[in-house]
Amino acid sequence: MVKSKIGTISAILLTLSIAVSYITSSLPRTFINETKSAALLNIIYITVVVLFIIILFCKLFEKFPGLDLLDISKFLGGNILKNIVGGFFIVYFTISSSIMLRNFCEGLVVVYYPLTNYIFVILTFIISIYLVNKLSFNATINTSSIVFPLVLLSSILLFCGNLDNFSFRRIYPIIGDGFYNTFILGLKNIGAFGGICYLYFLPPMLKEPQKFKKIAIISVISTGLFILLCVGTLLFMFSFFITADEIMPLFSAARYIEFGSFFQRFESIFLLIWIISFCCFLSITCKFSAHIFNKMFNLSDIKPILNIIVLLIFGLSLLPQNYAIANFLETNIYRYLRIAVGFILGITILILANLKKRKVGDKN
Amino acid sequence: MIKISNVFNKIFILILIIIFISTFSASYNSLNLDNLAFAVAIGIDKSTSNKLKVTFEFLAPSPSPESGSDTKPVLNSVDCSSITNGINIMNAYLGKKVNLSHCKLIIFSEELAKEGISDEIFSLINEVQVRPSSNIVISKCNTRYYIENSVPSLESLIPRYYDIFPNTSEYTGYTCNATIGDFFNALVCNSCSPYAILGGIITSDNNSSQSPSPNESSIKSNESPISGSRASQNIGLAVFKDDKLAGELNAIETICFLNIRKQIDTFLISIPNPEDPNSKIDIYLTPNSTHDIKVNIVNGAPYIKINLKFSGKIYSMKKDAQYLNPEVLNRISNSCNSYLESQFSNYLYKTSTNFESDINGFGVYALSKFNTSTEYNKYDWLKNYKNSTFDININTVIDSGFLLTQT
Repeated sequence: MVKSKIGTISAILLTLSIAVSYITSSLPRTFINETKSAALLNIIYITVVVLFIIILFCKLFEKFPGLDLLDISKFLGGNILKNIVGGFFIVYFTISSSIMLRNFCEGLVVVYYPLTNYIFVILTFIISIYLVNKLSFNATINTSSIVFPLVLLSSILLFCGNLDNFSFRRIYPIIGDGFYNTFILGLKNIGAFGGICYLYFLPPMLKEPQKFKKIAIISVISTGLFILLCVGTLLFMFSFFITADEIMPLFSAARYIEFGSFFQRFESIFLLIWIISFCCFLSITCKFSAHIFNKMFNLSDIKPILNIIVLLIFGLSLLPQNYAIANFLETNIYRYLRIAVGFILGITILILANLKKRKVGDKN
Repeated sequence: MIKISNVFNKIFILILIIIFISTFSASYNSLNLDNLAFAVAIGIDKSTSNKLKVTFEFLAPSPSPESGSDTKPVLNSVDCSSITNGINIMNAYLGKKVNLSHCKLIIFSEELAKEGISDEIFSLINEVQVRPSSNIVISKCNTRYYIENSVPSLESLIPRYYDIFPNTSEYTGYTCNATIGDFFNALVCNSCSPYAILGGIITSDNNSSQSPSPNESSIKSNESPISGSRASQNIGLAVFKDDKLAGELNAIETICFLNIRKQIDTFLISIPNPEDPNSKIDIYLTPNSTHDIKVNIVNGAPYIKINLKFSGKIYSMKKDAQYLNPEVLNRISNSCNSYLESQFSNYLYKTSTNFESDINGFGVYALSKFNTSTEYNKYDWLKNYKNSTFDININTVIDSGFLLTQT
C-alpha cells in the first residue's frame, strides 16, 4: 500500500491527528464529568501510565524489527490468528470512525445546517474520503502534517483567547472526587490515547524503523499535552460541564473568544480547521483498515476495499437511532473497545509472541 | 470513443450535485439574509394573559437616503408561553425568521426576575444563535418601555450603543459587563451566584433635579440624579440567589463588586476630607494587581480575608490645597482606607446576610480547603455563604493631584 515510506515527523503528526478527532468530540467533556477538578491530574497520570505501556510495547516490538502486529500474529498463531487480529482491528477502526463521524455531524447539523438531514452531512464527509482515497496514502499523511499545526495553533488560540474567562482555582480540590475516582476509575480514560492503535501497523511503513520508539514516546507525550491544553481550557472556563452537557465542548469555548469589537466569532474558523482534521482522521482510518485487509488476504489492489470500507463507515454511522444513542456509544461503549483492542489485545499478542520467540530461540 | 464508465461517473456526479443542492438549500434558505429579521434586543416580561410577553427590537433601514445610515428601531411584542414559542409566533407575524445572532441585549423585567428566570436562560443558551457575550439587564420597568427609551443620543447605531455601554464599567464601576454566558455559568455553578446589569428609566418622580440624592455613590437605576435625552439608564447591579432576583446594588456597591472580581481598571470616589469635615475630596483610584483573597472554613463557617491595594490621585482641587505635604497625603490615605473599608464591609455583608448570594465567587477560593469535590458539595457553599465573616484590609497610597499639586 505504502509505496513511499513515512517520515518520523509525519508519523508523529499522524498519531496526533487521531487524537484531534477525539478531542473535538466529547472526550474533554468525559474527562471533566468523570474526574471533575482532577481532570488535569488524571490526564498527567494516564499519560505517565500510557508512557510506561508504550515503553513496554516498544520493548516487545524490538524482537520483531520492521514487522507490524499482523506479521507478529502470524508468527504467533499462523494465518488464523493473523486474520482474527486483523478482523478485530478493522471492526474497531470502522466502528470508531463511524460513531465519531455521526456525533461530529450531529454537532454540525445543530450549528450550521438546522434544516438538513444529518445523513447528507455525513454523506459530504463520505464523498470527500472517497475522493481522498483515490490519492496515495502519503497524500493523506502529508495533509495531516499540514493540518495538525493549524489545529495546534487553534487550540493555543482557544486557550490564550479565553484567558480572561479563566478561573485557575477550578483545579481544586486537586484530587477531584477522591483517589479512587481519579486514579482507579480514571484509568478508563486511557482510551483517550487510542492513537497508539495505529502504531501497531506503523513499523513496516517507516522510513527509519529504528526510530519507532522515539515516534511512539513523542506521540504519547504530545497527545497528553494536547489533551491537557484542551481539557484545561474547558475546566478553567466553565463550571457547567459537571452538571450540563454541550454538544461540542470546544466549540462552546470558541464562542467566547473576542478581541475587541472587530475580531469576534472565531468559532467558524475553528470549526473549519476541525472539519479538515476530521477528514484526515477518517481517511487515515480507512487506509489503515484497507491495509490490514490487504495484508490479511494478500490482495493486489486495495482501492475497491477502500470504497467498501467507506460505505461500511457510512452505513454504521447511520445505525444509531438518534444523537443520544450515538453519544452513549461513544462515551460508554467505544472507550472500552479502544482499551480492549488498542491496549489489551495488542499487548497480549506482543507478550505471547515474545514468549514464543524466546522459546523458539531456546530450542534453537 | 466515449467510455461507458466515464458517462456513468458524470451522471453519478450530476445526481450527487442535485441531491446536495436540494438538501442543503433548505438550511441555506433558513440562513439567507432575505429571510432573516435580526433582533438587536429582546425584552422578556411577565404577561397578564399568558406566561411571558416577549418584545423584539429590530432595526428598519431609514426610507430616506438623506439620513445616511440611520436606522429606526421597530418594536414588536408577543404574549406567549415560552421564548421559543414567542419567536415562532413573531416569525409568522413578520414573514421572516427572527435571528438572535446579533442580539446584544437581553432584558428581563424585575417582576419576572423575582419569580425565577432559569427556564428562559436555559432556553436562550440552548439557542445556537444567541451569543454568550450578549449582555443581560434586569429592568426596573416594563422591558418594552426600557427598550423604547434606549435610543442613544451620541450614537447613530443602537447595536453599537448596546455594545459599548457595559464597557463603561471599566472606568466608572457604576455598571457591569454582565453577559448571559456568565449568568448561565453561575446559574449551574455550586460556588457562585448569577448577577445582571440593573436597568431603569428616568422618570419625573425619581429625577434628582427635583429631589437631589444625598450621595452620588448610592445612586442606582431609577434613583439617579440624571436628566437627559435618553431616558434609560444602567447603574447598579441585580443580584440573584439561584435564578431569582434577590436584590439590587447601588453604584458604590457595584464598584466594590468589580474590585473583588478584578473587573475594573480605575474609578472615582468621594471621600470625607480629613482637613475639612464638611467637604469631600474626589479621588481617582486604580486597583493594584496584588489583590489578595483568602477563604478559610472556621467552625463550619466561611472566614473570608480580603486584602485590597489601591493607588490614587486627588482629582478635586481647591484653594490652599497642600497635596505635596506627606502628612496631608497620609491623612487622606487613612480617610480613604476607612471609607473604603466601611463600603466594602457593608457591601459584603449585604450580599451574604441580606441576599445570601455569592456573586463574588468566593466559593471558588474555598475549593482548595476541601479534599474532594464530594466534600465540597456536602458542605453546600451557597447555603453556608450567609454565615460568612469578612476581614477586610484596605491599603491606599494617595499621590498628589494631576497637573496641580498644591495651590
